[in-house]
Amino acid sequence: MDEQMDERATDDLESRFERDALVFLDSLYGAALRMTRNPADAEDLVQETYLKAFAAFHQFQEGTNLKAWLFRILTNSYINTYRRKQREPHFTGTDELDDWQMVKTQAYATGQLRSAEAEALDRLPDSEVKRALQELPPEFRMAVYYADVEGFPYKDIAEMMETPIGTVMSRLHRGRKMLRALLEDYAVEHGIIAVGVSGGESQ
Amino acid sequence: MSEVNSFDPCLAVLDEVYEFLNGEMDEVRVLVVRQHLDLCPPCLRQYALEQAVKSLLSRSCCQEQAPETLRISIVAQIREIRVTYRTEDLA
Repeated sequence: MDEQMDERATDDLESRFERDALVFLDSLYGAALRMTRNPADAEDLVQETYLKAFAAFHQFQEGTNLKAWLFRILTNSYINTYRRKQREPHFTGTDELDDWQMVKTQAYATGQLRSAEAEALDRLPDSEVKRALQELPPEFRMAVYYADVEGFPYKDIAEMMETPIGTVMSRLHRGRKMLRALLEDYAVEHGIIAVGVSGGESQ
Repeated sequence: MSEVNSFDPCLAVLDEVYEFLNGEMDEVRVLVVRQHLDLCPPCLRQYALEQAVKSLLSRSCCQEQAPETLRISIVAQIREIRVTYRTEDLA
């Protein structure tokens, strides 16, 4: 009798997991791709995430945010496994920027772009945006991705990354500035945006 | 004194532009920032660029599709875990 009930409970848990958790597969895979920067590792990371999540699913409280919970497991798995494996150069410790990054960040502040150029930025190819994102140090990349692509509140991101909200904000600010500098560089190099002309809008 | 004198509303607004864009700002501050943007074309321009980058990001990164083989493999492994549990229970 008890055994039958256990079995039913397990079945329920499993079908609930398949129904509720698997809808986030594409989102998790997208994030994993940006983090690991290659499809094979992204698949492994997502698989690991789902298996860990299923193992802990009985502890998950219905009514709380399942997507945020899954992203938290993903982030944690990434930090513990892939980050070490990939030995990303900027991931070791502090949130300090190196000289190259500072130069890029300062370029952003020169205000050389005009309003018509906000629209011009929109013409950048997706591949270039992804490439620029992947150039950011992982902590910055994650903060930017979670806030701007996934739209998670800072509070959730702080839990996912296990950092104070202030750290999330600073990573996001610096990540966004670097990203914008990279995108502007690309746009200027490819003639999508003209630079250095002051005055009226370009036609 | 010097702190009051050196307060630059533009810097303050630009410093919070991401919070404004991400809806992470309280209502009072939102009003202040909005008012400032209405009156300050250079800040409005910066804001427009930040908004452009944000929508560019969502557009470029939002369409990844996980391979179908990944979904199949995850479901298979979950079911296998369940079967293992059961076999252990029966043993």
